[in-house]
Amino acid sequence: MPTASLSLAPVEEEVTSLDEVVAPDVPWVTIVWNDPVNLMTYVTWVFETYFAYPRSKAEKLMMDVHVRGRAVVSHGPRESMERDAEALQGYGLWATFEKDE
Amino acid sequence: MARAFLREPDGFVALLDDGERLILSGLMQQTRVLLSPEIEATGDAFDDLVASMGVSLDLADQGTGSADSTGSSGDDEPADTGHRDPALDRLLPTAHRGDDEVAAEFRRLTEEGLRQRKSSNLDLAIGRIEAADEDRVVLDAAQAPAFLIALTDVRLLLGERMGMRTEEDAEALHAAMETIDDDDPLGYAMAWYDFLTWLQETLAHALMDERDGDGEGTDEDV
Repeated sequence: MPTASLSLAPVEEEVTSLDEVVAPDVPWVTIVWNDPVNLMTYVTWVFETYFAYPRSKAEKLMMDVHVRGRAVVSHGPRESMERDAEALQGYGLWATFEKDE
Repeated sequence: MARAFLREPDGFVALLDDGERLILSGLMQQTRVLLSPEIEATGDAFDDLVASMGVSLDLADQGTGSADSTGSSGDDEPADTGHRDPALDRLLPTAHRGDDEVAAEFRRLTEEGLRQRKSSNLDLAIGRIEAADEDRVVLDAAQAPAFLIALTDVRLLLGERMGMRTEEDAEALHAAMETIDDDDPLGYAMAWYDFLTWLQETLAHALMDERDGDGEGTDEDV
């Protein structure tokens, strides 16, 4: 997938999202599980569309789902994770939420 | 012969012939039947909001979906309570692995709303297919995501019906295609599954390309 055009995109949203994802004190997570039906392009599109993640991050999470079988796609309070799981299920992804251990 | 979704001046456009549109809208309608909400959207924003929270305003509505034994019209879902089509567990999966109570509560609060949203995506997609003119299925910027999501749900249902639950299942099914008889229903289903995969891939790419174009402009807001 071509990524060259990405270099022109603003970078500030990536910084914000990274902070969100590594924040240590948020105890719940949303997980997306691998499945044989959802396409790599589509999963990337969903992460960009729903979370407004930049292409590089959306693709990295998509690859984690594909290769490792699952990826934590968001952290936060339980209510937010339930909302994320519901939204991602709306897109047809296999999303769950749980307390982060 | 179908042509992929491409960005054209009037929207995202695919060329699908009569037979392709008939099959595609038929598969979407089957998915729509499976996902039909207990309470169909009324057009009234408040009623729909309440319904989407899994609460019926009309007590008489409750249970009619399963108690109605008069309309045995063939291939609708079995009417007995307690039966849940396994495909529903793929389209509306368990949202918490390890805590059944949490999962059940989540389902109670979200399932009706998810069914409504998925159904309305499918309704829109079916409408766009039926509106095709000279084989052109045209989607504007707002319709394209709904159509893309509808294709996902159709593929999830078809995949589940073919037993495609893991990557290994998918590989085995594709390998079986090499030797399968031409008139085997599984081969037929698999061919349409691959067709839908191709169609969805082209629409996803068209949407991503469009976004790349936007990203280079000055108005990148989400």
